[in-house]
Amino acid sequence: MSPDLDAGDYVIVNTWAYRRRGPDIGDLVVLRDPEAEGRFLCKWIAGALGSGLYAVRGYNEAMSRDSRSFGPVPAGLIVGKVWLSARADRRRTLGPESPS
Amino acid sequence: MALLHSLLTLLDRVSPAKIAYAHCDIPCGIYDPHHAQMAAHTVIRMVDLIGQLEKPGPNATADQRQEYMNKLARYVATKEQHAEIFKTEVRVLWGDYFKPEHVQQFPNLHDLVWKSLKSASKGRQEINLQAAEDMLRQANEIATIFWKTKNVSTYSAKSPYVTGRETVYPKIG
Repeated sequence: MSPDLDAGDYVIVNTWAYRRRGPDIGDLVVLRDPEAEGRFLCKWIAGALGSGLYAVRGYNEAMSRDSRSFGPVPAGLIVGKVWLSARADRRRTLGPESPS
Repeated sequence: MALLHSLLTLLDRVSPAKIAYAHCDIPCGIYDPHHAQMAAHTVIRMVDLIGQLEKPGPNATADQRQEYMNKLARYVATKEQHAEIFKTEVRVLWGDYFKPEHVQQFPNLHDLVWKSLKSASKGRQEINLQAAEDMLRQANEIATIFWKTKNVSTYSAKSPYVTGRETVYPKIG
């Protein structure tokens, strides 16, 4: 999902965000993986399809497994809205010889 | 944000956070054991063709020897290539498609995959019809499990190819 999220980043999730209303298009959400029990995914809402179904996508579309492969996800699988993300220190993570 | 990340790292050590995956491997979601089954059929066919080759006798001409060598080399090369395709396809299913819950549901899956790769190695190294038959049988067993994980029923029928072996197909449509 780079550049918005990278391995090792923390996200703080508001699990109350969708108690009274559904997600908006563009929301970054954490959801339960429809294809793997106990696994969580972090995707953005690409569309509201009605009947409580949502299309989700990864920001890095070429590398993302999302609604294009597993189809629309029911609202019940959406855990909450990403409220804050804390990025890892890339310089420290990648080391001094990294080109970045 | 680096400070917040450091604080959350400390918190994570005390009370580990759940992991959310933001991106995965290339996500086509398109997997099919048919490629492995086809590769096994090809290996069987190549072993058959090698067995049918008439070896040049002591009075064979240079052209006849050359023709024999050419055909043998081509059959062996194709057998090698398709045994490797088989291994690649099974590895992709194993590494990319099957998930821990599939192994729980089908406890023989690990052993089956491992044995199928061993059969393919043997089928590649040797001119060995039994190894090639094992490849197809194991590919069929993998196909049966694969389609069960997708709630697609299967049936077994003789293949329409010249090999004519029993092959597992999904009931689709």
